[in-house]
Amino acid sequence: MTRSFSIRSSPAFLAGAVVLLLAAALVSGCVGSDPSVEQRSISVTGSTTVLPIAQIAADTYMDKHPNDEILVSGGGSSVGVKAVGEGTADIGMASRDLKSSEMEQYPGLVEHVVAVDGIALIVNPENSISSLTLDQIKAIYKGEITNWKDVGGSDRQIVVVGRDSASGTREFFYEAVMQKEEFVRTQQELNSNGAVKQTVAQTPDAIGYVGLGYIDTSVKAVNINMDGVLVEPTIDNVENKAYPIARSLHMYTKGPETGLAKDFLEFLMSAEGQQIVSNEGFVPII
Amino acid sequence: MQKNRIESQTIDLFTRQNKEKTISCIWLGTALVAVITIILILGFLFKEGLPAIIEIGIPEFIFNEIWRPTSENPSYGIYSLIIGSILVTIGAIAIAVPLGVGSAIFISEVAPPQFREAVKPAIELLAGIPSVVYGFFGLIVLTNWLRILLDLSSGATWLAGSIILGIMALPTIVSISEDAISSVPKDFRSASLALGATRWQTITGVLIPSALSGITAAIILGLGRAIGETMAVLMVTGNAAVIPDPIYNVLSPIRTLTATLGIEMGEVAIGSTHYHALFGMALVLLLITLFVNLSATYILARIREGQTGSSRTPLFSHEQRKQIRSIIILSILVASGWISFQIVGFHGIAILAAILTLGYVGSRFLSRQSKEKIAFGCVTIATALVLFALVAIIFDIVSNGLPAITWEFLTESPRNLGREGGIFPAIVGTIYLVIGAIAIALPIGVGAAIYLNEYTLEGRLTRIIRAGNDLLNGTPSIVFGLFGFAFLVIFVGLGVSLLAGQITLALMVLPTIIRTSEEALKSVPDSLRHGSLALGATRWHTISKVVLPAAAPGILTGTILSIGRAAGETAPLLFTAVVFSKRFLPGTVFEPVMALPYHLFILATNVPGADTQKYGTALVLLALVTGIYAVAILMRRHAQKTVRW
Repeated sequence: MTRSFSIRSSPAFLAGAVVLLLAAALVSGCVGSDPSVEQRSISVTGSTTVLPIAQIAADTYMDKHPNDEILVSGGGSSVGVKAVGEGTADIGMASRDLKSSEMEQYPGLVEHVVAVDGIALIVNPENSISSLTLDQIKAIYKGEITNWKDVGGSDRQIVVVGRDSASGTREFFYEAVMQKEEFVRTQQELNSNGAVKQTVAQTPDAIGYVGLGYIDTSVKAVNINMDGVLVEPTIDNVENKAYPIARSLHMYTKGPETGLAKDFLEFLMSAEGQQIVSNEGFVPII
Repeated sequence: MQKNRIESQTIDLFTRQNKEKTISCIWLGTALVAVITIILILGFLFKEGLPAIIEIGIPEFIFNEIWRPTSENPSYGIYSLIIGSILVTIGAIAIAVPLGVGSAIFISEVAPPQFREAVKPAIELLAGIPSVVYGFFGLIVLTNWLRILLDLSSGATWLAGSIILGIMALPTIVSISEDAISSVPKDFRSASLALGATRWQTITGVLIPSALSGITAAIILGLGRAIGETMAVLMVTGNAAVIPDPIYNVLSPIRTLTATLGIEMGEVAIGSTHYHALFGMALVLLLITLFVNLSATYILARIREGQTGSSRTPLFSHEQRKQIRSIIILSILVASGWISFQIVGFHGIAILAAILTLGYVGSRFLSRQSKEKIAFGCVTIATALVLFALVAIIFDIVSNGLPAITWEFLTESPRNLGREGGIFPAIVGTIYLVIGAIAIALPIGVGAAIYLNEYTLEGRLTRIIRAGNDLLNGTPSIVFGLFGFAFLVIFVGLGVSLLAGQITLALMVLPTIIRTSEEALKSVPDSLRHGSLALGATRWHTISKVVLPAAAPGILTGTILSIGRAAGETAPLLFTAVVFSKRFLPGTVFEPVMALPYHLFILATNVPGADTQKYGTALVLLALVTGIYAVAILMRRHAQKTVRW
């Protein structure tokens, strides 16, 4: 025991004590603040596809109404339905229709269609392919076509990129394109539109599917060959129903909407709200 | 009068004893928290997973390799996912162990002491890099490198996952192995060198065998981190639920149990078979990690026994050991041959054969001095590789992230999906989460350590508590996330909230705090306690006034390490506490928050066109966590230098 108890006053201990004190102060600060103005707050949760619309609409709305707060979070369509059904969120977002089990479980849900979304097939910009038929797409995703040369491209293995099993986009794709036949098991499964786009942008031989809003110069959108007519995945083509792979995007409320939820949904349906919809690459409904 | 005095004295004595008893009961209570938590976790996973396991059937669930939960004819087989988890971990160990132990040897025995002084803390600092940052680097940089370098169609592979996990495990393995090697007594070295052995012979013949238990512990810790890791793996392995064909094809995409949970849990319809199957999967994951931890503890105990020369017969006889060694060497050779064949074709085998022949010729004909030079060259290269990998990650993030760091970025709320504006709410959210977690875990953890170290003798109860603590320590972070979701968010009804996240994080760091606090208490010599007790102080008085102050630096180090870990975690928060965007700071603990790791995860995977922002977020997160670790390391060094008993 050469030097025993000087540690109590040593800088290390002091530093630690200061850290912990600060911590305590912050905790009390975090619990103790109370709003002096009346704040309204709702939470919007669910589909990552609808998320950009909701987020930017919420930001714009909150800029105009500084005492209202709209919390937007992702999680997926099922989370959205569950959350609004259970009452943990005020608005649930879903990129698919309600399933029968969900209608049974939460009979009071009211549906609001806020936009229409086209699903585009994307490939890397280096890929020479510019159009595919729906049958070819299905065969690629089923694993029957595994090489780009079989659809008129170069002799390279196709990297099939899709969404995870819980995604609403995948479910729609499964029904509309795959006609409920199974995906090839070697498809890469990613958990968001953004991840699919990122992967396709980095991978020369990849094919993936994302919402129209995600298309930019880092990937190439594939035209759909409908009996010889090439249909480009654009907002106009979705609007005039020429483009075949499109679905409506929903928001759900538990019972008729009230309060801030009502104001927010009205804002979304207004011309300004629908402008946000088309700015983000979705198809407006009015 | 006289009587009165005696009475008051007895009352005093009585209350004093009572007080002692109460205090001891409180500490027992805190010590049981870890055990109760692990029972609750197992219970909840079991409760939520059972419906699926019954519906699907255990053989179908475990041994069917087709995971197709949302199709018309759903199939819930997790075999390929189990294999995926195991393969990725094996690959990570194959990469991390040679490099890690090699660098440990270099740092401890070959490099000059100044190098050690500089590099050791740097490597320890790297243990604090959050896993989502590794995953981010893997997704953006590593998979692309691999694709171009090996001319693959996609870089998202088993190999990428193993490399990222290997790099993640390296700091732990290097740091702990180095501790073990350099703590071998000097006499051993001197004796061996005096007998005429070269330094390399001393290292392989004396130092490594003596440090074996420490090195094994290091490897096990690294293994634990690898098998339970979610975020990094999720971002780089491609997540195709297939078994590589052939099984050693490291260039196949692969999907692990943890990644499946991380991806699908948030999106699954609650109450469906799919939902229950995910909990069943978490149960399987937990059982696998428990099995790994238990067998590791067993192996460690055997190694220690062997070293202290206990009377029990060793695990293997000398002859058997020789056989086992040759089998292991042979299988490693075959495996590395196959892997290099897979990666670069016949050239790979040719190169490998050339290296082996050279090695063989070398070992037969070279003098031991030349062998030493070659060996030292190898460990130097290993260290260089380790440092290169870590520096590459940090350089990539710092150089791309610095342009994003502006005053606005640090102090404003995100706008336009995080493509503009700043990350202030995420920084504050992370700080709130961490502070709450520590405020909950610290009293409980220190209390448990006090109970284990000061109030009881080793017995059945302490063994149960310690076992519970070990199990909790080995529980993958994603399992904490699931538990937090099922128990706190839904069952208790906290909703997705700051409080649910704080409690989940607190439970996750609890074992670390208990363990480091116990070590700190143990290092306080008994003479201090005896002195205090002899002066008439009660047990609690002794602990609070004498033992705890002396142990404070150690406890603080453990706490700060926990803060670092909690700040960087994503998986436990995914379903319990975070929202993507929130303009106001939370007013109460029942509101959700933003958090840096989650913000980075979303920016990297969900938001197109936020490149500078995501690097900026990664940099802030990296700086925050490594900053916290740096404080811990400095404090520990300071304590090591000043405190001497």
